[in-house]
Amino acid sequence: MIEITINGTPIEVEKGTVLLHAAKENGVEIPTLCNHEGLNREGNCRLCSVEITENGRSKIVASCMFPVTRSISVETDNERVKRARRTVLQLLINRNPKSPVIQQLCSEYGVKREERFALEPDLCIRCGRCVRACETNGTKAIELVGRGFDRHVATPYETESDACIGCLSCATVCPTGKITYDESPGKRKIWHKEFDVLKCARCGIYFATKEMLDWAGRPENDRAYCDHCQKYIESVKFLTEHEQNK
Amino acid sequence: MGEIDRIAEIMHSYKQDPRYLLALLLDIQESENHISTEAMRAVARYLGVSESRVYAVATFYRTLSLKKKGRKIIRVCMGTACHLRGSAAVLHELEKGLGIKVGEATEDGKYTLETVNCVGACALAPVVTCGDDSFGRMDPAKAAELITRGAFE
Ligand code: SF4
Ligand code: SF4
Ligand code: FES
Ligand code: FES
Repeated sequence: MIEITINGTPIEVEKGTVLLHAAKENGVEIPTLCNHEGLNREGNCRLCSVEITENGRSKIVASCMFPVTRSISVETDNERVKRARRTVLQLLINRNPKSPVIQQLCSEYGVKREERFALEPDLCIRCGRCVRACETNGTKAIELVGRGFDRHVATPYETESDACIGCLSCATVCPTGKITYDESPGKRKIWHKEFDVLKCARCGIYFATKEMLDWAGRPENDRAYCDHCQKYIESVKFLTEHEQNK
Repeated sequence: MGEIDRIAEIMHSYKQDPRYLLALLLDIQESENHISTEAMRAVARYLGVSESRVYAVATFYRTLSLKKKGRKIIRVCMGTACHLRGSAAVLHELEKGLGIKVGEATEDGKYTLETVNCVGACALAPVVTCGDDSFGRMDPAKAAELITRGAFE
């Protein structure tokens, strides 16, 4: 265990714990955008900046990328930290004035859009969460493509991709609402591609695309029920067999 | 040899290892003057990387282009000096005159229109270049005239 202080309070953390997590576990909230539990960490947005001091020297680090390996003292909310976050937010709001998350953070930090640097509004903040979500699936259907101002998330060749299974993971983890999709009973459209969505024979919810079940390797003849009903049916079967065997 | 064969030959000169992705794309660009969707598909399969990865790399580097480039490249300087002296309007005029957007090639395959950051002739801003020729102190009217009198031929 390593002893560190966060905002003056001493705490003990296990060696290698990511600073952001250590803070959270001890009730200290640090704002984040690109970080998402369950996804690889990339440190793209720098909103989680904090100040660490070691041997009298201090610097700003991205807390989501910083493993605690030595005894340090951490400030998560002093003036220098706030300035760092304001800079990040300023750049974001200039390009991204319409996203509720960004608006909320900016009002917390007192950041206003600079009209003279105003860029064409775009909801995407290029945090890469969607790309990492798709990668974590193993589907790898989208990437950040292009360069400079044109950088954006896309499927290969900006068109319907064989790799996309219509799972919506990308849209689910997007913090800004950039990734949209159409959903109507039995149909789904995302990333230029249309999917059939299967209906559960027991509860009637639309539970998965055919491509998702293909990807999961679920046999063709075993696709009538959603996960929930599947489990229910199995447990009922198990219990009745159990009764009969008694 | 057709495009597919040439690309196959280029690919087979590399080991099937994802780290050769950029090198391979550069070779294809050199040989084909652009990187087609078929080429990207083939490269993804050969190196065992996702098509989205290949597309991301192919769209990131300036030297790589997805569209066939024209035989001559017309470049409008967007450096600071040229920008301040109105290169955006010059670019716009050339787009109109050639009937293409920046980054595209004309239908007849003659020209590609690109931007560049400072060609080192700031005193002559705004500057347009084409091959070895350069044209200084441009404005939209002069740019339109360059096209009509065939200065880029
Ligand atoms: S919906 Fe398609 S692009 Fe989005 S995470 Fe799923 S497979 Fe990837
Ligand atoms: S689409 Fe959403 S998740 Fe993906 S990079 Fe943009 S903001 Fe992040
Ligand atoms: S949350 Fe740490 S860099 Fe984005
Ligand atoms: S800025 Fe155009 S030549 Fe220098």
